[in-house]
Amino acid sequence: MHSSLIRTIKAEGLKLKRSPVWLTFLILPLISAFFGTGNYLGNQGILQNEWFSLWSQHSLFLCFFFMPALIGTVCSYLWRLEHLRTNWNAFLTAPVPLLCLYLGKLFQAVKVVILGNIWIFILYFLCGKLCRLETDFPPQAPEWFLCGILGGIVICCLQLALSMVIRSFAVPIGIGLVGGIGGMLIVNKGAGLFYPYSLYSVGMRANNPQMTIDLKLFAVSCVCYAVLFCGLSVIGLRRHEQ
Amino acid sequence: MKTQNLIETKNLTKQYGGVRCVDSLHMQVPQGAIYGFLGPNGAGKSTTLKMILGLARPTDGSITLFGTSVNTRNRIRLLSMTGSLIESPSYYGHLTGEENLHILQTLKGCPEADIDKVLKIVRLEEARRKKVNHYSLGMKQRLGLASALLGFPKLLILDEPTNGLDPSGIQEMRELICSLPSEYGITVVVSSHLLGEIDQMADHVGIIRKGQMVFQDTLEALHAHARQQIALRTGRPTDTLSLLRRNGLEAAKEDDYLLMPMIDDERTAALCRQICEQNIPLYRIEKREKSLEDIFLSLTGKETSL
Repeated sequence: MHSSLIRTIKAEGLKLKRSPVWLTFLILPLISAFFGTGNYLGNQGILQNEWFSLWSQHSLFLCFFFMPALIGTVCSYLWRLEHLRTNWNAFLTAPVPLLCLYLGKLFQAVKVVILGNIWIFILYFLCGKLCRLETDFPPQAPEWFLCGILGGIVICCLQLALSMVIRSFAVPIGIGLVGGIGGMLIVNKGAGLFYPYSLYSVGMRANNPQMTIDLKLFAVSCVCYAVLFCGLSVIGLRRHEQ
Repeated sequence: MKTQNLIETKNLTKQYGGVRCVDSLHMQVPQGAIYGFLGPNGAGKSTTLKMILGLARPTDGSITLFGTSVNTRNRIRLLSMTGSLIESPSYYGHLTGEENLHILQTLKGCPEADIDKVLKIVRLEEARRKKVNHYSLGMKQRLGLASALLGFPKLLILDEPTNGLDPSGIQEMRELICSLPSEYGITVVVSSHLLGEIDQMADHVGIIRKGQMVFQDTLEALHAHARQQIALRTGRPTDTLSLLRRNGLEAAKEDDYLLMPMIDDERTAALCRQICEQNIPLYRIEKREKSLEDIFLSLTGKETSL
């Protein structure tokens, strides 16, 4: 099992070679940071809480709009590789457990989320420095980063399940986008911890960096959703017929 | 010593909706054989091969691979001894041929040196660093075969591997397949809807029609069906039929002719003499040969395409 998992992770990594999907993860956070910083500088009369205010502007569009769609793009791409031609035949006749085949794809999606989050926080730090913010960099940022990754993993699991079943490339991305926007409404109603698409933005404290969350409940919610969507995906793989 | 069957199916059935695509199929593929799985388009060849590989679930029946009944627990072990090319080659077009093989080599856990070996076998060494999207159809097909050969499995399942190839590509693929059992000890199952192709490649044949196995034996046995006959056309067929019966020859009427089994020249001469002695006008006496095509058509039905 262990060696099979390493093999599938390696194989999925090889499939992503020369893939353009990385570009979106480079560009969209950059756009978000650019407009977020511009918005912060243009509204300093209202936004007076320095790093927190800057983060609220950076994270608003990124967490609710861009990130779910971005994760959806990566997941759609990962499955599109198999949906094309007769690639499902080769995929399902590989001598590795189906769970490993699925986890290989999940690993790549999560890797992109982690790298994307690192990039987001680098941009946040650099923009803060460019704005000459006088206070210290928020000590809560590592927690936002880690919680964001955990919430991102849930979206990865959900989007992978959708993209595995739906052969279209765009439809799961659209679902991700609508899910992310819906997440904003649900967070506003205080139910963000129970809706999979809002777990990323809740974890990242999007638009509200001083928000406090029940970390235990957050972690339990993330784990439950991740296990549920992983389980559904593996059942789907087992039932998949060519 | 009895040869072990590498594949054995019993009552294998696949039903989609109310239609039985594969119907109580008994398939036996001996070890070391090139088994030609022959049948018209839509006869159930691909579905059968998919069930053997676990890509489709049988509605009924059992599959034994390498002497072991196939189930979810031994799926990985059995797949590791099997290579396949189903329907058309699977590949990632944005990657080179070599990178595609590297992915499969990683998944199969076979040595990296196998990539060079299989590229050499299918003669794709020069195109190894070219993106597969830029390959010709023949090259993609050869890459598909190379992928199936990675790890040098004991069993190779090839579904219509010459589909879409030009005549030289077909010849090349045929030579490659024929060399596999002797050079690498690989048992090959190759499906086709073309009798001539199987005739030139296989040593065992299974013919499927509407999901049912209508013939399964060695190619020699199939050829034995291609028997010679003598056709007679006379002025009084009924009297001729009685005369033939008196000589211990069973004949069947077909159009204006009487068809009887092949006999030697002396007996033929004696028979002609008797016909003339009875004043039966003898118009024609011909040697007829039932071709493999005739047999195939009689087994699979003339309405189906070849």
